[in-house]
Amino acid sequence: MRSLIRLLIRTSAFFSKEIYEILRQPRLIMTLVLGPFLILLLFGIGYRNEARALRTVFVVEPGSALEQKIKEYASSLGPQLIYVDATSDQEEALRQLRRQSIDLVAVAPPDAYETIRNSQQAVFTLYHNEVDPLQADYIQYFGKIYIDEVNRRVLRSITDEGQNEAMTTREDLAAARTSASEMRAALERGDDTAAREHQRQLEQSLDSLELAVGTSIAVLDGVQQTLGDGEIDSEGLRSNLSRVREGTTSLQEIEAGKNNYNSEAQRAGQVEQNLATLDEQLGEFQQIESSVLVSPFRSESQGIASVQPELTHYFAPAVIVLLLQHLAITFAALSIVREVQLGAMELFRVSPITAGETLGGKYLSYILFGGVIATILTGLVVLALGVPMLGRWELYALAIFALLFAALGIGFVISLIVDTDSQAVQYAMLVLLSSVFFSGFFLRLDTLQPYVLPVAWALPATYAIVLLQDIMLRGTLNPVPLTGLLAFGVGLYMVAWFLLRRRMARE
Amino acid sequence: MAQAAPPLNTVPSTLLHGPIIQAEGLTKKFGEQFAVQDITFQIPRGSIFGFIGPSGCGKTTTVRLLTGIYTPTGGDALVLGHRPTTFTQSTREQIGYMPQQFVLYPELTVWENLNFAASLYGMGRERKQRMTELLAFMELSEDKNKLVRQISGGMQRRLSLASTLLHDPELLFLDEPTAGLDPVLRRKVWDHFNVLKAEGRTLFVTTQYVGEAAYCDYVGMMAEGRLLMVETPEGLRRRAFGGEVIDLSLVEPISYEHHIRPLAALPFIQNQRVIRTGEKELRLIVDEASTAMPALMEWSQTQNLTIERMEEFLPPFDDVFVEIIKAVQKEPTRA
Repeated sequence: MRSLIRLLIRTSAFFSKEIYEILRQPRLIMTLVLGPFLILLLFGIGYRNEARALRTVFVVEPGSALEQKIKEYASSLGPQLIYVDATSDQEEALRQLRRQSIDLVAVAPPDAYETIRNSQQAVFTLYHNEVDPLQADYIQYFGKIYIDEVNRRVLRSITDEGQNEAMTTREDLAAARTSASEMRAALERGDDTAAREHQRQLEQSLDSLELAVGTSIAVLDGVQQTLGDGEIDSEGLRSNLSRVREGTTSLQEIEAGKNNYNSEAQRAGQVEQNLATLDEQLGEFQQIESSVLVSPFRSESQGIASVQPELTHYFAPAVIVLLLQHLAITFAALSIVREVQLGAMELFRVSPITAGETLGGKYLSYILFGGVIATILTGLVVLALGVPMLGRWELYALAIFALLFAALGIGFVISLIVDTDSQAVQYAMLVLLSSVFFSGFFLRLDTLQPYVLPVAWALPATYAIVLLQDIMLRGTLNPVPLTGLLAFGVGLYMVAWFLLRRRMARE
Repeated sequence: MAQAAPPLNTVPSTLLHGPIIQAEGLTKKFGEQFAVQDITFQIPRGSIFGFIGPSGCGKTTTVRLLTGIYTPTGGDALVLGHRPTTFTQSTREQIGYMPQQFVLYPELTVWENLNFAASLYGMGRERKQRMTELLAFMELSEDKNKLVRQISGGMQRRLSLASTLLHDPELLFLDEPTAGLDPVLRRKVWDHFNVLKAEGRTLFVTTQYVGEAAYCDYVGMMAEGRLLMVETPEGLRRRAFGGEVIDLSLVEPISYEHHIRPLAALPFIQNQRVIRTGEKELRLIVDEASTAMPALMEWSQTQNLTIERMEEFLPPFDDVFVEIIKAVQKEPTRA
């Protein structure tokens, strides 16, 4: 019991010493709390969550049809395209690009019509002056999106023309229906002469109709082949037209002088009915918006999380994680190397204190300090920035503990392998830099090559960002990263203990 | 003044009652360089052992070997009955160590530093009274709430000493404890060491102040990693000058023929060493001053000489040290 009490007292030596030393630096504490909070606040206020707009000069043959279309489209394609000018002088446009007074030069394809007629795609060439690979990718993506939009508009124009053709078709159809109706009426009256006359008119109308309806059928065929069964059945249209033709042909031999023409009148009625169906089908086709026909699908995303966080909210847990990790690593990395530089290690070697007690005291003090910083910082981001906290606070505390425990382990290991405090700071900065790139802070882990992932999972921040985002923004806790982080922390503690024990042993 | 005691390296170890420190052929090399070479000595419990020598002579290395910081390259040592490399926690609790450099924390107050040192040794509630007493003794009571970086170097040294004494250790290793202290405080500290000794504690003290040898029971002199000798302070003087020293002043002027030559021939004069130090002054090296002085009185009467003044001269330890070093350097094996 006495030895246990002495162990606790010895452990408390470093616990209180570290706390006193930290409290002697109030400015440091203020910086640690307010710094990240203000950075997040500024980020939240200042971040524009919109794609970059590109100042664009088009190079196009003057007076060409394409120039007219470009001017027409450029102002309406989207907010990311800022139309600056259209010119035929490509060199001057490129000079402007080099001076960075514009962001993009789009060179229109010469002889676009001829190229397309030759069954080749006409190419718009986009010149940029970006050195940032992400921006270069963005411009490539931007070009693809905007060219898709241009293509869609061209298709829409074609579809519009098809629908206008359908309008003419319906006029032909109306004439055919009138002829059929009048033919039927003449047959019912027994006026075979008039019936033959109307039959002839009907056949003429049908000839025109067969030609005109072809365009509509082609468009509908395309839609149907892509989308499968739909309301409008181009096959129905075709078979209806064919039935109308057959019905009309079967009336060809209207004999003169018969007592009644009931059966012929019945067939003419059938033709009339088929024409009505055809009219109805073409009417439906006309009613479909051309924009829907060329872009029949669109997507709408719906998150299943109970809140949809803003960008600041999304980054807040990661910022807290990075700050706490950096704080813990830096404090721990400087801790033992400073004892060595001060010469205190010599005193510890002679005294009864052990490596475990030394580490224990330091771990406890820094976890307490980190916990206080985490509490204040989390309170600020939740209360002042409105970052949601959907999960349970005790799980959040557990995740923070695991993060600090593992990060301190890295710090102590650094402290025990370096010789000077400046080396310790450099190592701590290297870990921070690695965390920015590999922890999922900015870049998702699935964008990294598999052989880089071990680096990512060697950083406590990688586990902790997943944990804190899950707890705060989803209200859930994934036990796998938590277990991994705790195991990682235990492993680092063992390494630090072994190194410190060796350092405290005889020389 | 420390009590006279027989020199350890000349007294068989069987005569010593449980030496608290025993070193036998203790050696430490760093690479090919000897820091400490083949030193052998014993220190009895309840004594003050002074370790004297110039900077870099191996004093601190010896302390580190005896406290278990360094593993010896050769030889062996027993401290408190244990090899320093296998000290247990309870053995360490009996040892107080004050390193040569100041190792307390500049961002903590005087009181917090003492509190830290008390915790290192697992001290419980008793620490508060002990800390208060030691601060008063070291004249630091009024400064207990000051940050250590705000106090002077001498005050830091005192605080360091207070931290070492805090847990009331049985054996103290003090590496230059009085460096940077003013003479008054140095004397006070040595008085306290004597109090500790009187309480039965053993002190192993290194110092560059050769004069402090006078406060020790035994003095080990080191040079270039070797232990030149272990002596009592008086024994050191004797070894330095080859005997005891008497200063003699005559009324008449001194001549070689009438005074120096006859004196040098006297049997109690060591190696005929009579040194003229002035027109009427002589310095004589004798076997024992207490027996030589009456004999000198008798000789002067037979020679019709009038002695104006005669007294035993106690040379300062700085001179003692210099003389010994000179003598050692003259020895062919040391050269």
